[in-house]
This record gives sequence, C-alpha cells and structure tokens, in this order.
Amino acid sequence: MRRRHFLQAAGAAGLGLALPACRRLEHLGIPVRILQPGLAEGHRLRDAGPLPAPTRALRTGVAILGSGVAGLTAAWRLTRDGDDDFLLLDGPEPDGNAAAGRFDSPSGPLLHPRGAHYLPLPSMESRGVRELLFELGVIEAEPFSERPRFSETALVHAPDERLYFEGTWHEGLLPSGQVNAAEAAQHRRFLAEVAELTRRHGSDGRRLFCVPKALSSTDAEWRRLDAQPFRDWLVAQGYSAPSLHTWLDYVCRDEYGAGLERVSAWAGLHYFAGRGGRAANAADGTVLTWPEGLAFLAQGLRARVPPARQKPGYALRIEETREGVRILCQDASGPFMLHARRAICAMPLHVAARVVPHLRDYGFDPARHLPAQAPWLVANFLLDGFPAEPPDAPLAWDNVIHGSPGLGWVVSTHQWLRAAKPAHTVFTAYRALADQPPAEARRRLLAMGPDELLALAAVDLRQAYGALELWRRTRAVDITVRGHGMAIPGCGSLNNPGLAALQAADGRLLFAHADLSGYSVFEEASWWGERAARLAAAR
Amino acid sequence: MPEPRTPPVSPPAARPENGLPDRLLILSVFVVASCGLAYELIAGALSSYLLGDSVLQFSSIIGCYLFAMGVGSHLSKYVNDRDVLARFIDIELLVGLLGGVSATLLFLLFAWMAAPFRSALYALVFILGVLVGMEIPLVMRVLHTRQASFSELVSRVLTFDYLGALAVSLLFPLVLAPKLGLSRTGFLFGMTNVAVALWTLWYYRHEIPRLRSRLTRGALVMAFLAGGLVSSEKLTHWAERGLYGDEVIFATTTPYQRIAVTRWKDDTRLYINGNLQFSSRDEHRYHEALVHPALQSMPWARSVLVLGGGDGLAVREILRHAQVERVTLVDLDPAMTDLFTRNDYLSGLNAKALSNPRVTVINADAGQWLETHSEVFDLIIADFPDPSSFGLGKLYSVPMYRLMGKHLSDRGVLVVQSTSPWFAPRSFWCIDATLREAGFHTHPYHAHVPSFGEWGFNLATRQPGYTPPTAYSIPTRYLDAETTRLMFRFPPDMQRLPVDPNHLNDQQLVHYFQQDWGNVVR
Repeated sequence: MRRRHFLQAAGAAGLGLALPACRRLEHLGIPVRILQPGLAEGHRLRDAGPLPAPTRALRTGVAILGSGVAGLTAAWRLTRDGDDDFLLLDGPEPDGNAAAGRFDSPSGPLLHPRGAHYLPLPSMESRGVRELLFELGVIEAEPFSERPRFSETALVHAPDERLYFEGTWHEGLLPSGQVNAAEAAQHRRFLAEVAELTRRHGSDGRRLFCVPKALSSTDAEWRRLDAQPFRDWLVAQGYSAPSLHTWLDYVCRDEYGAGLERVSAWAGLHYFAGRGGRAANAADGTVLTWPEGLAFLAQGLRARVPPARQKPGYALRIEETREGVRILCQDASGPFMLHARRAICAMPLHVAARVVPHLRDYGFDPARHLPAQAPWLVANFLLDGFPAEPPDAPLAWDNVIHGSPGLGWVVSTHQWLRAAKPAHTVFTAYRALADQPPAEARRRLLAMGPDELLALAAVDLRQAYGALELWRRTRAVDITVRGHGMAIPGCGSLNNPGLAALQAADGRLLFAHADLSGYSVFEEASWWGERAARLAAAR
Repeated sequence: MPEPRTPPVSPPAARPENGLPDRLLILSVFVVASCGLAYELIAGALSSYLLGDSVLQFSSIIGCYLFAMGVGSHLSKYVNDRDVLARFIDIELLVGLLGGVSATLLFLLFAWMAAPFRSALYALVFILGVLVGMEIPLVMRVLHTRQASFSELVSRVLTFDYLGALAVSLLFPLVLAPKLGLSRTGFLFGMTNVAVALWTLWYYRHEIPRLRSRLTRGALVMAFLAGGLVSSEKLTHWAERGLYGDEVIFATTTPYQRIAVTRWKDDTRLYINGNLQFSSRDEHRYHEALVHPALQSMPWARSVLVLGGGDGLAVREILRHAQVERVTLVDLDPAMTDLFTRNDYLSGLNAKALSNPRVTVINADAGQWLETHSEVFDLIIADFPDPSSFGLGKLYSVPMYRLMGKHLSDRGVLVVQSTSPWFAPRSFWCIDATLREAGFHTHPYHAHVPSFGEWGFNLATRQPGYTPPTAYSIPTRYLDAETTRLMFRFPPDMQRLPVDPNHLNDQQLVHYFQQDWGNVVR
C-alpha cells in the first residue's frame, strides 16, 4: 500500500513538474508577454465598485487628464505659451496609442512601437503638428510652406513598401503591375479621382476633405457620403476590381480598424484626400517614421513639459463644482483629490463615459453617441537575425500580404544608419480584429491565452516565412492588446451630435482626444489638444 | 517461385574450407564500420569548413546520418532472405561510389552553385546513412544463417563495428584529413568499400547470382574511384578556380561575410562574399590614390579615421606620413582585422600597420560608432563596399555624410571610395552629388587599377580651395606630379553626369549602381 501511495505521489509530482514544461512547449519555448494597457483600471470603473475616499488633496490651474497625444500636446502648448500652472496626469498608459516598448537584445536595446508607427506628411492646415516637427528637427526648413524640408532620418527609407501577391513580393502595396489591364485602369482612375478630390473645395470654400477633420467643408452634397458604406460608393462609381477592393479594405482596416463595408464613404475618401502634405525632398505620399513609432513624437512632447508638471496616476471621477473642477484620482500611494480651475479630459470617450458621471449634461449620451471601437493587436517579435528574403524583393519597411486578415509588419531597425544588418531586429505585426462586431471580438480576446493571441498576431509572418523559420528566429514576443484601440468612423459618424457637443464644449471641463474626430490619428489628437490648451489658458 | 520460409542459403558443403568466409565477413564489419564513420566525419568536416559553426554542422550531420542509419536498419527487413548476400554486395558498391565522391561532389557544388548546397549536403548524408544503416543488419543476417549462437554473433559483430569506428575516428583527424585532404580521403574509403564488395563476391561466388555482371560493376566503380583519387587535387583546384580563379589559401565565414584569400604565384587576392577587394599586384595604386592626394596636402593633419578597410592597406599608406599621430580604424568584422593583424603573410602585406602603436583598431558598425562617439578627425577615409544593396547604399547617403562631417575638424578632409567612373558613371557622379548636397566641396578623381579597371574617389572638403599636390614627400610607387594632375582631370568620355543625390528615402544610388553594372558585360 505504502509503495502504491508513494508511486502515486511521485507520479503526481512528476506531472506537476511536467505540466509547466508542456505549456511552454505550446509556444515552443518563446517567451510571450501580453500587455493589456488600461484594462484592469478601465474594467474596475465599468464595474462601478465603490469609489475610494481621498486621503490628500492637490491643487492646480489646469488638470490634463491623460497623456496620450492630445494630453501631451495640450501640456506642450501650455508650456510653450509660458503657462506653468497645470498638471498632466499620465493615465493608466503613458503616451496612449503612441506608446513604445523596448527589448534588451543581446546586441543592445531595440525600441519598437506598441501603437501607431508612422505619420503622413502633414497637411498645410496641421500647423501645430508642423510646429512640433520643426521643434524636434524633423522639419529642417520652412515648416509652414507648401513643401517643407524634412529630415531624411525620419522620412521612410527605401525600400518602403512591398506586397505579397499571388506567391511573390512586389514593390508598393497596390498590385497594379500584376493584374489585368481593366483592373489596372480602375486603379489609375481611383488614384486620379482621389488626387482631384484632395484639391477640391466645397461650396463654403473649405477643402472637401481636410486633416484636421474639423476644417473640412460642410458642403452637404459631400457630407452625404457619410451615410453610405465605402464599398457601396465604390460599386456605384464603377470600381469593381477585386484587387482594388482588397487593397482599400486593407487601407480601411489599417487606418480605421474596420473594413470597407463598415467604414463610411466619407471616411474612406478622407483618408486619401484629407492631407495632401508635400515635402521639398520627398515624393508625395511619403511617411515619417521612427524605430519606436510615434513614441518619438510623444517623448519629444513630454521632454518639453517640465517634469514637475507631470504625474503618474489616473482619474476615477470628474465633477464640476462652483469654483472649478474636482477630480478624484488614484496613484501608487492611494486616492487623492485634485482641485483645478479647469480640466482637460484627454482620455478615450469610453473611459470618459465612466469617469464623468454627467457626460449627458454636456450633450453626449454614451449609449447613443459613443462610436464603435475596434480591438487591435500590436505584436512585437524580437528576432535573432533576419529571415531569408528573395534577392529581387528585399525586406521593406512595411510588408503586407494581399488579402490577409493581418495588416502586415514593419521593421523597427529599418531607419538605422548601419554598415551591416543589425544582429537583432524587431518586426512589429499589426492586426485589427475587423472580421466580427467589436464587442464580440473584445469578449473573444479577453478569453484568449498567449498562444491564441500569438496565433492571431503571427498570421502574416507565418505565411511569409513559414512557422519553422519564424520560430527559429524569434527570441521573444510582446503583444499589446488594445480592446478599445480606436474609434471606427462608420456611417453616420460625421453627423454624431454627441461628438459635436464635446467638440464645442468650452466650460470648465474641456475635451481633447482623437475620439472627438471619430477616428484615431496623431493630427486629430494634436488638434484637439491644442484647442483645449488655448481655451484653458484663455481665462 | 521462391518460397518465403525455406532455408535461405546453400548447405555448408558449398562453402570454402576452414571457416575463412565467416572470419572474412567479420573483417568486413570492421572495414564497413570504418568507412561508415569516415563519410560522416568527411561530411561534418566539409560543412564546417564551408559553412562555419562547426558545432552546429557536426551535430546536425551526425544527427541526420544516425537517423538515416535507423531508417536503413528498418528498411533492411524488406530484403528477402535469399538475396541478403547479393544485396549486401550491391549496397557496398553503392556506398563506395556515393561515399567516395561525396567530398569532391559537395565541394564542386559549393563552388559552382551556392544556393542548393545545404539541401544537397543533407540529401547526400541521408542517402549514405540509409545505405550504411543497412550494412550491419544484412551482415548479421548472413552470419546468423551460418552460426547457431546468436549471442556470440551479436557480440562479435558489434565488437568489430565499434573497433572500426575507433580506428577511423583516430586516423581521420590525425593522418587522413591533414595528409590526404577530404576529397582523397573520400575516394580512399570509397575504394575500401568496393574492395569489401569484391572480396565478399569472390569468396561467395558460388552463392551469388549474376556474378559476372556484379564483378564488372565492382571493377568499374573501383576504376572510377581510383581515377578520382588520382585527379582529386585537380578537381579541387578546378572548383576553387570556379570560385576565385586561383587557389584559396585562407577562407572563413564570419557572421558578417565570407572572407577568402587566394594566391597565384606572387599575386595574393582578397575576396569578400566573392567580390575582389584587392590584388597584391596593384593594390598600391588604389591605396596610394585613396590616401596621398589628401594627406600630402595636409601637413597639419594629426588624426585620421578609416571606416572599413580592415585589410590595413590604407592604414599602411597613412602611416608613411610622419605628421599623423593617431589612426583609428573602424571595421565591422573582427575576423578581418585579426586576420590582417596576426597572419604573418597577410600582415606582411600591410607592413604590420594594424599592430602599429599609432593605430587603434575598433570593431564596430561604422554608422553606430559615428552616432555614439564625438571624436573629431582631420581626415576621414570611407572605404566601404560598393553600394550594391539598400543596406550598403545608406553608407553613401546625405545623412551619413553629414554625420561624418560632424566628426571632421574645420579644415578636415573626407575621402570616399566612389566605385568606377567608367563602368558605373552615374553611381560615381551620384556620390559626388550626394557629398555636395551634404554641404561639401568635392574634388573627384580617378586612378587606373588594372585588377579593378578605372576606379574613382571623391575628396570632399568643408571649405573651398583644395589643390592636388604637385610633389610627394614620401616614397610612392604610382603617384607623381604628372599622374596626380591627370587623376583630377576627367577626359571627355568620363565627364560629370547630371544625376540626383542619394537620399535615404529613394536611394537613387542603388538604382544607378544596379543599372550601371547591369550594363557592363562581365
């Protein structure tokens, strides 16, 4: 009997030791780190537990709540205008969608994006963005001219894009050279049409499509495109080429987190016609990028805000009082009350809906006005060496697989000035979960383990290099799960009265976030941050 | 007709006398085991010579081979009991042929086509392993039908199997590989396998069907291998010529590149990734032209930075100028600078420049080093490989030259190896345009280096007013006043072309370079 017990115990112990090993084997011994920024804090707010009682109080002129691009821009603008009576509260994820990560590879540290990774050449109207770029040395000369000169280290280096189409890689992302003449003709017609729309003005004299979106024409004829899905518009205009649809679907998922059938025709065209930014020393349509993605800009903004005006912690409850704004906050040492003359709510609107109890009084009813938000995965693969590439199609900065559910990957070391390829690199693979309703996709994501998330995130890299080569090269994976990654500019988003109300708010509580524009890009966040800072400083 | 379970071989009376054949078979086991291990060692050694990383190469070859032997052992059960002896002889002939040519075949494959080498290597190792794996089980079956005691049989066969392995494992590294070389060792063992086949064939001639055809085949294979043994040296040389044109005296693969040094009579040549870097016959032309037009006009120069140029030949020329107090060489590959520091013959070529106390050798990426250091130099020499890829093109870009400019003193000079103004004129003038775009005054020049053809350089200064030297204070073999004057003159068929500078976002230079060299018939 004793012996049997002993054997059972030994067996159980053996199993216990073997199980973790088996679990490691599932992702083949590669350490996978899952980050869910803001998830715990956000879900606590959602589940509406009792609020803690503050144990101390702080006072400031302007409280900036959230340090994504909008909050950072507001803090930078206030600092630049000589106003130092403000406090920037970081929020649960400093730098928000412009956050970066770092791998300590055997050959040295490697920065990589955990969110957005590039900025298109800014439009003439994005003056704040141009001013920032000039200050950071990204624009070298004539920042407000039609064609500023940009620093070459930031302009994406050649080769910039390649597309995996029908078994081989090709330059560029639109396979015009690989499809039949009729499809290629549609490609040309579409590009000519959006180029023409870029220059076109509405009946009010404004550009039809403009970044920032707030400066776009209000011409009703064109705003009608907001009611129609982009795909319907394409079909109505005679654009039927499958290759064009696949490309535009990729563009919409990449830019807006949802496909052609969800994104409005207005938003789809706005992507192409909204900027028209040009450079003295680069072709139209070029982008600016850095190894750490837009964290380069976020860190640049942050470095220009006095450290004493920045504070970790996040808001739990925002209430207007007779004297100003009272904000219940939480930081590492516990809850505290922040009293401010005015506050800039620089957080995503689904969070603001929980933190500002009377958001309806500002004209925004979360139940009706909150835009749908796309869930995203940003997966960073630390690689030992580079996978083999075909000699005639070298690795580009952005590598996309035609028709894949993934959004391709970018190479973090692409902008390095090096004599040899670095010994280690980071590939950043993007994926928007656009194939199902966002809420359902979020529920699915929440239930997933590291292996399932890795399988979702690695879909393109696997197809391009094979599972074996990918596994052989990969040393570590860092997956950032953004359940509420970005607002989707679906049909009707242009005429969302709730967003219009928050955009117009100019009381003690101001709002600043790309969500106000209904889609997530740097210039929009910057625009609302600038505006809020101006209003906050006004009194 | 054959019935499966009948006794497989003839009665004992048919055998020759006094048990010799069985002892012979045991001897065969010894030889066969030696040969089997020899092929494995040859494949492992060859792949680690050619591909580097010997631990990886050896263990993957051994793994593949042992696994294939397992497959062979498994397959051996499908050999009909009646045919065991005949199959054993067939397999010996096949092993002898394949194993014999393996080293030479792989070497030729590597020399003539680099891409499928690994696949061919592992395929060959696998096939050999399968065949070798069948040998011992077949011998044991032959012996088993003749000997009652299984335990005795197993013990004897395996004893000789392991003894054979021991013999070769000592002979191979100590005698065979150094004295005979891999190719000839391969042929030798191949012939031994065939010899086993032939003598087994002879002693069992009464039991083996189609004796004559097998004898003929055996003789043919033997003759072929003997021919290979005699001519393998020629074959190897032929293979090396295919790669480099001359005999390779040194070759190594580093994480960054494949370095090979060849020698033919008094001509030593360095190749990196198969591209000629210098020929000892005329490298003085290249390096004098690279260094002296700048340094002769800079009697005040105290510090020099050399980027690339791990062969130390440019440093040798720099050290001739007594005014230079310190030279910093930044080269990516420690294998390269070690080779040209430690190897007696090669460090003789650079007059032991890299061990000179005035010289500091740094193994780092030039881009990274320039970004992370702030030292300032009077002269910078950029001796990088030609801009044949987007990666290398970055070294010839406006931001790279601006970065170099930050490391130059006020009157500092930058000299850039600028590919051929004759074969790649747009590339040459693009480098000139790029330097001017980066804010330099440029002074392009060219020199005739027979092994390269017409070669180009750009001398760039931050202030205008450079004039080429009219006399040299140091002894030179190529340069004099008249040569120098002509170097800075571009005849009508080599005039400046209107080209765009090389910006990182379009890398025009790489396109020019690929088009230019694509037009040259080589």
